Amino acid sequence: MRPRVLVAMSGGVDSSVAAAMVREQGYDVVGVAMRLAPEPSAPVAKRRGACCSHDDFEDARRVAERMDFPFYVIDLRADFAARVVDNFVSEYLGGRTPNPCVMCNREIKFDRLWSRARALAADYVATGHYARIERAADGRFHLLRAADLAKDQSYFLFTLGQDELARTIFPLGAMTKTEVRARARALGLATADKAESQEICFVPDGDYASFVERQSDPAQLRPGAIVDRDGTRLAAHLGVHRFTVGQRRGLGVAGGQRLYVREIRPASGEVVAGRREELDSAGLVASRVSLVDDSLALEGELSVAVKIRHRHCAIPATVRVDSERRAEIRFASGGPAVTPGQACVFYRGEEVLGGGFIERAIAQEQVN
Amino acid sequence: MPIYLDHNAGAPVCAEAAAAVARLSADMGANPSSVHRSGQRSRRMLEVARAQVASIVGAEPRQIVFASGGTESNNLAIFGAIATAARRRKIISSRIEHSSILAPLAELERRGFDVVRVAPDSDGRIDPERVLAVLDGETALVTLGLANSEVGTIQDLAPLASMCATAGALFHIDAAQAAGRIPLDVAVLGCDLMTLSGHKLGAHSGIGALYVRDFTRIAPIMFGGPHESGLRAGTPNLPGAVSFGAAAEAAMNALGAESVRIGSLAASLFTRLREAIPGLRLNGPMTGRLPNTLNLTFPGVLGESMLIALDLEGIEVSMGSACAAGAVEPSHVLLAMGRSVADARSSLRFSLGRNNTAQEIETAAAIIPDLWRRVAAAEPLSEVGAR
Repeated sequence: MRPRVLVAMSGGVDSSVAAAMVREQGYDVVGVAMRLAPEPSAPVAKRRGACCSHDDFEDARRVAERMDFPFYVIDLRADFAARVVDNFVSEYLGGRTPNPCVMCNREIKFDRLWSRARALAADYVATGHYARIERAADGRFHLLRAADLAKDQSYFLFTLGQDELARTIFPLGAMTKTEVRARARALGLATADKAESQEICFVPDGDYASFVERQSDPAQLRPGAIVDRDGTRLAAHLGVHRFTVGQRRGLGVAGGQRLYVREIRPASGEVVAGRREELDSAGLVASRVSLVDDSLALEGELSVAVKIRHRHCAIPATVRVDSERRAEIRFASGGPAVTPGQACVFYRGEEVLGGGFIERAIAQEQVN
Repeated sequence: MPIYLDHNAGAPVCAEAAAAVARLSADMGANPSSVHRSGQRSRRMLEVARAQVASIVGAEPRQIVFASGGTESNNLAIFGAIATAARRRKIISSRIEHSSILAPLAELERRGFDVVRVAPDSDGRIDPERVLAVLDGETALVTLGLANSEVGTIQDLAPLASMCATAGALFHIDAAQAAGRIPLDVAVLGCDLMTLSGHKLGAHSGIGALYVRDFTRIAPIMFGGPHESGLRAGTPNLPGAVSFGAAAEAAMNALGAESVRIGSLAASLFTRLREAIPGLRLNGPMTGRLPNTLNLTFPGVLGESMLIALDLEGIEVSMGSACAAGAVEPSHVLLAMGRSVADARSSLRFSLGRNNTAQEIETAAAIIPDLWRRVAAAEPLSEVGAR
């Protein structure tokens, strides 16, 4: 019997080509589109990029028809709401800046979808992620950056371990986006020239603050003051969820020098502002650390490069992981603004070693 | 070939209907309203079909109005009936009706009508006394399904006819799921209007009919030519009607023997599954049900996963009703019967039909328990939603 692959399809070009490729490789392909966000109640103007819409699922269905494999829409709205959206809201309310794509991969695509795959007797899950999986001679699996560094999504996948990698296929990992589009056109896929999807699918207008406010009880919001490093009050604000460490716009502080959010103190509602250079940090503390290969010796220090935001470049650092799965990361030279809630991913060359969720920055030694 | 167990959604086109449409397709296809001889031939075929459809419910052929399907027939019955009862503002129905009744009623509610939806008991039965309790001189229409599409419960509607007549209300029965599966007689049921659907009993889709006892009590909802006794404008769907007529006649000829055969296949499927799956539950009554319909709650699994797993093994069933984006909402019928949302999400509908063989049911009964064990182990309900 041919191995069965469950392919997660959004209707976009990437997952469409991924599905077509595993089909061409001779797998027994089952396509699924995950219904994650609630359907908008009122008819809305065409929102290209916001996924889970009827049109996107019809695009995915057309690909399945053309490539002749079964396709289903599966309803994971309750799972997505409980494990991704609620987390997103509570992180913002707690003064942190979450990365829901990491949570969605960990909780939905490589947990709930995997359970569904086993229920459907699938041997593998395939997605349109840009990342590579390699199996070494010793049988261990390695997670690597995509060949197309501009599209690389390995940052969002650091929570995957050996079990997940052994059963996952990323058909696009060795391809560039241009190649993927060309492939889609060659296959006659309707989705070949579709626009890129945006980062947070359930907040299509990008207004996270309003989304958090709609999803929470007003009593949960933490309004307070914007203060400087000495505690001097500069302005009032409507809630810590409206701020991200490193943010400059929207502080509502008049005059003088440019100010940035340095620190958010959810308990007191204080947002500490400071000058650009005051954002620099010496390192960070991360929790819930996971390693792609648990057999990796992490005793003592490990020299790695860390990415502390998806769009940042990796910077040299040392990592020390303790038995509580907390890590202390020290940047080799002065580091950028550290944003609690984001993922800190450890790289060695092309390879993802693991990562964790940022708890707090480690301040630079006072030099000024 | 898949094992098709979704006849309540739509039955495969029967050989008789396929042959009738093939004969028609070789003909001129003239408009039945045309005066010339080709038109007359078409008209004759249309009237033969009308008589065939009328005979399955004991109606006069002239009392049958062809429409595009059960949904249009229900809309015509509801909006057509209230148009002739302008003073009366109340409509009585139930919470377990098909969307083609519930949606028109919701629309009428928006227009200011008083809609009463009677609750069923835990087996999906509507107590006629509950209808009587709300029936009054303000009531324009009582509209109820005879056999429920999701759980198969057959209602005892005959006692309502005289009550409606006394109150001056029109009485409409949606018999889309009952026709061709159980004996029907409009005289026994005493209804004013009855909906029939072609594709549920082996005709092509796109054809339905409304039985109308008295044409003075209903008004058209679509305007055009004087077709179908002036009640349904538009050139009649002749291939559809011919298909419906042939399928109706075939279903009636087979009715007694087939309902026994299908009933025993369904019973054996249920018995086999109940032995193999601890906690399996039949939704709906043990008696007074459509012989072909089994609505089953599978403990500890998502119905959606079971449905897909079954489909990948070539066993085709359904659950609830699919929404626009393809995700499946929990059945409003099961919820109205008092089942929890979780139980509704664990329930599947198996609906058998003429093409099913004992061998197919044997195969399904052998495969389904294994699939259930696999799905329950791989995706336990405790992992669904929050953790």
